[in-house]
Amino acid sequence: MDVPVQEVIRPATIAEALAALAEREDARPIAGGTDLMVQLRDGRRRAGRLVDLGRLGLAGIRRTRDAIEVGAATTMDAIAASAEIKRSFPALASAARQVGAWPIQCRATLGGNLANGSPAADTAPPLLIAEASVTIASAAGTRRLRVADLFLGPGRTALTPGELVTSVRLPLDEPAPGERVVERFTKVGPRREQVISVVSLAGRAVIRPDGTFALVRLAFGSVAPVPVRALTAERALAGRRPDAAARRDAARAVQDDIAPIDDVRAPARYRRIAAAVLLDRFLQEAARG
Amino acid sequence: MPRPDAEPRHRTRGSDPGPRTTDHGPLGGRHERPDARAKVAGSTRYVGDLSLPGMLHAGVAVAPIASARVLALDTAAARAVDGVEAVVTAAALPGANLVGVIFPDQPLLAADRVRMVGDRLALVAARTPEAAWRAARLVEATLEPLPAVHDPVAALVPGAPLVHDGGNLVRTFQVARGDAGRRSADVVVEALYHVGGQEHAYLEPQGCLAIPEGRSRITIIASCQCPFYVQQAVARVLGLPLAAVRVEQAPTGGGFGGKEDYPSEPAACAAVLAFATGRPVRFVLPRELDMQVSTKRHAMVVRHRWGADRNGRLRFAEVDAVLDAGAYVGISTVVAERANVSAIGPYDVPNVHVRTRIAYTNNLFGGAFRGFGAPQVTWAAEATIDRLARAVGLDPLEFRRRNLLDDHRRRICTGQLLRRPVLARECLDRAATLAGWDEFHARPRAADTATREGMGIALALYGCNLHHGGQRLDRSSAVVILQADGSVVVRVGLTEIGQGNLVACQTIAAQALGVDPTAVQVWQPDTTTVADSGPTVASRGAHASGMAILDAVRRLRTRLDPVAAELLGCRREQVELAAGRARVAGEPDRSVTIAQVAAELAARRIEAIATGWYRSRPRRFDAATGEGEPYEFYAVACHVARVAVDRDLGVVRVEEVSAAHDVGRVIHRDALEGQIQGGVVQGVGWGTTERLALDHGRLVNPSFTDYLIPTFADAPKVNIAIVESDGAGGPFGAKGVGEPALIPAAAAVRNAVVAALGVELDALPLVPPAIVAALGDAHPFAWVAEEEHEHVRSETVAPGR
Ligand SMILES: Cc1cc2nc3c(=O)[nH]c(=O)nc-3n(C[C@H](O)[C@H](O)[C@H](O)COP(=O)(O)OP(=O)(O)OC[C@H]3O[C@@H](n4cnc5c(N)ncnc54)[C@H](O)[C@@H]3O)c2cc1C
Repeated sequence: MDVPVQEVIRPATIAEALAALAEREDARPIAGGTDLMVQLRDGRRRAGRLVDLGRLGLAGIRRTRDAIEVGAATTMDAIAASAEIKRSFPALASAARQVGAWPIQCRATLGGNLANGSPAADTAPPLLIAEASVTIASAAGTRRLRVADLFLGPGRTALTPGELVTSVRLPLDEPAPGERVVERFTKVGPRREQVISVVSLAGRAVIRPDGTFALVRLAFGSVAPVPVRALTAERALAGRRPDAAARRDAARAVQDDIAPIDDVRAPARYRRIAAAVLLDRFLQEAARG
Repeated sequence: MPRPDAEPRHRTRGSDPGPRTTDHGPLGGRHERPDARAKVAGSTRYVGDLSLPGMLHAGVAVAPIASARVLALDTAAARAVDGVEAVVTAAALPGANLVGVIFPDQPLLAADRVRMVGDRLALVAARTPEAAWRAARLVEATLEPLPAVHDPVAALVPGAPLVHDGGNLVRTFQVARGDAGRRSADVVVEALYHVGGQEHAYLEPQGCLAIPEGRSRITIIASCQCPFYVQQAVARVLGLPLAAVRVEQAPTGGGFGGKEDYPSEPAACAAVLAFATGRPVRFVLPRELDMQVSTKRHAMVVRHRWGADRNGRLRFAEVDAVLDAGAYVGISTVVAERANVSAIGPYDVPNVHVRTRIAYTNNLFGGAFRGFGAPQVTWAAEATIDRLARAVGLDPLEFRRRNLLDDHRRRICTGQLLRRPVLARECLDRAATLAGWDEFHARPRAADTATREGMGIALALYGCNLHHGGQRLDRSSAVVILQADGSVVVRVGLTEIGQGNLVACQTIAAQALGVDPTAVQVWQPDTTTVADSGPTVASRGAHASGMAILDAVRRLRTRLDPVAAELLGCRREQVELAAGRARVAGEPDRSVTIAQVAAELAARRIEAIATGWYRSRPRRFDAATGEGEPYEFYAVACHVARVAVDRDLGVVRVEEVSAAHDVGRVIHRDALEGQIQGGVVQGVGWGTTERLALDHGRLVNPSFTDYLIPTFADAPKVNIAIVESDGAGGPFGAKGVGEPALIPAAAAVRNAVVAALGVELDALPLVPPAIVAALGDAHPFAWVAEEEHEHVRSETVAPGR
């Protein structure tokens, strides 16, 4: 079946794009189309007008003094291949390389992954632990929003009609001398590739020379209506060493951070256990360095 | 798909290249498949690519619940949609409202009763597919829900909601041998297996094009395995004689059994709409609807009580199986027949009692699927064999060796004697060697790592071709035409569905006529060019069409050889056809080209067309006792799987499968290996990730986002050992391989996972939550799920991305 769209606009500037979005209530941006085309076809989303973001110069990775800015239309493949991202935000690079499979990675964009609002969006946990924010433009001006405040529920975000994500800002956070950084992204699914996360974890640990945590940040996908920071677990670990007792406390604490349900991909019980396993493995890796 | 610069994970180890010299002919070689290039390049025209002037598109309104009374159907809104040309309900059908293949239990359109999700309520023809489907959604059905039953075992308990008036027990098959008692066994294993169904996941969804000629005749172009089934179904619903229905098989993008019985239904729908409108009608099912409404591999519940003595000899086997037919019988009886015969595998068991019952439920209905009931019972049998091996303390290989059928012990449970040679032991040894069974088990393995490795083995005994019960269908027709330039046209009644039947027929004809395969053109089946050849199922394609081709060539040679003899100046008995030439036997220098002979036949106006016929040998079988010869001959297959299991996450990766197959003789080596590789991967998918999630009879994962078939990244390395022998009875001694290639794969994987984890797993598929659940308290984090949690919100995680 064809996609029920009446027109496709290909603006050359952000201003034109915002105008094209403001003009019609049923206008929607389209980037890689890897979510939207599927949803339009099966009726989960509607759009009378599609506004293509491909020619706005929104793709690219730029380093500023204290952050890395990733354009909203940057593809997963570009993110995964970027030396800058691999060095400073390895969990994001790893997540991007695990979105679908390579053909999808060459179309799927970071902005699309966030704006789609899925609790399983693989780039969300890495962005949460980076305490990243998005820049949002609309005909009314621009605003900044923490990624942590972007997701509202399955398929729902804080973006209002007519708004565009233009970039994602990841603040650089250099460890103090002598500290080690361990950062990982892991996703669980029954297949090797082309699989929506059943549970995913991004973790960042900064470890002092004495083996205690200077910082630990954890975020999960697919275990709640939105991607979540595991603040209870982070508090349970703060300042401690990732020894067996701490790991056990964290496994217990993280259960209060997540709220999984039974769905077609897995029962809640499995998600609770898998979240504990992923967390335990991350902490063991942090202990080893 | 990995990045193109990524290292290949592995390559399939091929077997030997096969005969090369043209003098031997193409048999057993690897010449290019005639359909390969167009398929790879994307130029093959499937039904969805066809269109005709004035053509309409069909849509269908289906029931959203599994059991209901139809109180009213309002089609006014559907009819009002712009572009709609016809809306048809049960009342308006010209012929019989019936599509059941074996039992008359399934209406084309539900009139008063809904028995499963997807029962058709109304058909729509419109000028665009969008209008057709929009109108279909606007058909308003007033349904009164009725009690439903979704568990096949519960369906057989008195008092269960009735799916059809006659009761939920459709049929019982049994076979008994000896006295299945507990007496002489030292160890007894009891187990209850829940074996899940499977979606065919053919690349091309169901589709057909119906082209009417007034109201007197019709042509159907269909993606299908069995054009003659489609012909019968269309003739019945239109009330036409068979001769007025012409069915041409379109190039078919995969079948796996899913295009055996089911395509009759969309074809009947399109035919009804074509007659109602007088216009061509194309009906292509969207993927989600196709998955929701088409047939599936049957789910089965299998109860076992098996015993062995302390030397590891099997003493008895009791199998009590229930097959979930779903709401209609379809071809469930034939599937149950095969399951019943296959239930104890290639083992010599003195005392056997097998019972297979078929139960109606309000689930999606079961249909043909590669293996036809054998994979389910094989999964159970091989699990029990491993349990018994453990119970008597024997290596699984050694336990099997002590019990396999062989040239001396070759009586199967029906009393039939297998033909020699019986190659079960040979297959086991070859597969185990390829897999490195001994080396693997000699290697120390850490028990405390996250990833556990395991190796498992399984065998299958496969009855080739159709069961005795389907013997009336077991015949086949071919036409061979020698063109004036020496090229050859071949027509057969069995279909190419990706499995390689075209190249098999081409090879067989070329071998028999002594010509190069490129001189032979095999055309898609068409019911007006050959006689009813039965279905392309039961791994019988190459066998049945090949035998008919050989018969046609034999008849053609009664006219060709005398002419060749004249040209050569020899007696007709001396004429030999090879390497593109007719020559004097023993004197290869005295020869003429086949093209010269063909030109001579044409010049003399000698009939250069011949028909050929094949029918299977009549056999003795008693359906009441299950005794006799259910199948003509048998093939053995053995698979060894090596897996890596992430124990705590329950994720299974199948790394390697080593497959040994008893194939008689190889016809085309690439096609054969392709069948084995594909069968293994499909079996692995069924056993591990392919879960049909049913909620009150509705499939809640009808898409490839959530119904997870293996991708190339998940495909194991497949090592192949081909075990050849003489005298199998097929063309040049070949046996079918399409289904044996799948049957043991999932069972081998199951046994490997059990070996890796040390816990029994009695439900298929082995999805991660099932494995974690089976570990129970042995899982290091089982406790986190038992405690109370503060934070449970009511909002749900949506299944969408
Ligand atoms: C086969 C397959 C496999 C997949 N596997 C994964 C996976 O493993 N992990 C995963 O996380 N996802 C997966 N996805 C989903 C999808 O690929 C990703 O979410 C992707 O990042 C979406 O980006 P896109 O550019 O294609 O978005 P689009 O489809 O173009 O857009 C998605 C949504 O975001 C909106 N949008 C896009 N860009 C902007 C913007 N700049 N500002 C505001 N709104 C915007 C659109 O209007 C639309 O609503 C998969 C999809 C497919 C088809």
